[in-house]
Amino acid sequence: MPRIVGVDIPDKKPIRYAIRYIHGIGPTNGEAILQRCGIEPMKRANQLSETEVASIAALIDAEFLVEGALRRQISQNVQRLKDIRSYRGDRHRKGLPVRGQRTRSNARTRKGKKKTVAGKKGVKAK
Amino acid sequence: MTRSLKKGPYVDERLYMRVEKLNQQNKREPLKTWRRACTIVPEFIGHTFKVHNGKGFIDVFVTEDMVGHKLGEFSPSRSFKGHTNKKEGVAAA
Repeated sequence: MPRIVGVDIPDKKPIRYAIRYIHGIGPTNGEAILQRCGIEPMKRANQLSETEVASIAALIDAEFLVEGALRRQISQNVQRLKDIRSYRGDRHRKGLPVRGQRTRSNARTRKGKKKTVAGKKGVKAK
Repeated sequence: MTRSLKKGPYVDERLYMRVEKLNQQNKREPLKTWRRACTIVPEFIGHTFKVHNGKGFIDVFVTEDMVGHKLGEFSPSRSFKGHTNKKEGVAAA
């Protein structure tokens, strides 16, 4: 199994899909990397030669922000919003949607699992 | 959707002039304003604005990090004091 940038171990899938297991590499970046390294996208990840793996790793190292570094940057950006006490930072702090979505219903991704309130309209108290 | 780059940032002209006037005199004093939609530009750094939130004025001290945001982002217009509690009436905020 080839290892690319640290711990990422994509498997026997075609490299075009395997490469997306790296946090920060999606379809667009993945295809671009393969094209620039001159690697056949449908080649299985475990059939890549050492040099091919090395060329991918070198390109990602040089030009892409992935994994820990990317996560760090994202949390720094969020932290900045919190530190300046902006509205968006406040929404991050409260775990509510940040971009103006409604919260009367839905917003479950941000709010997490439903917390039923007894006695509220339509809810029978247990 | 983001604002068209062609237009540039929205900076309220009168507010900007007020800040420039203070900058020229090297003075710092709170500026009362209703212009929540005005983008914060580097010239505003170090000034304190009293930004209206629909009810009163909230002090906003502008730091470098705030450049590019709008004044209204720092003056919350809603206050959530918690849900009501059947037993104790209104929950503690």
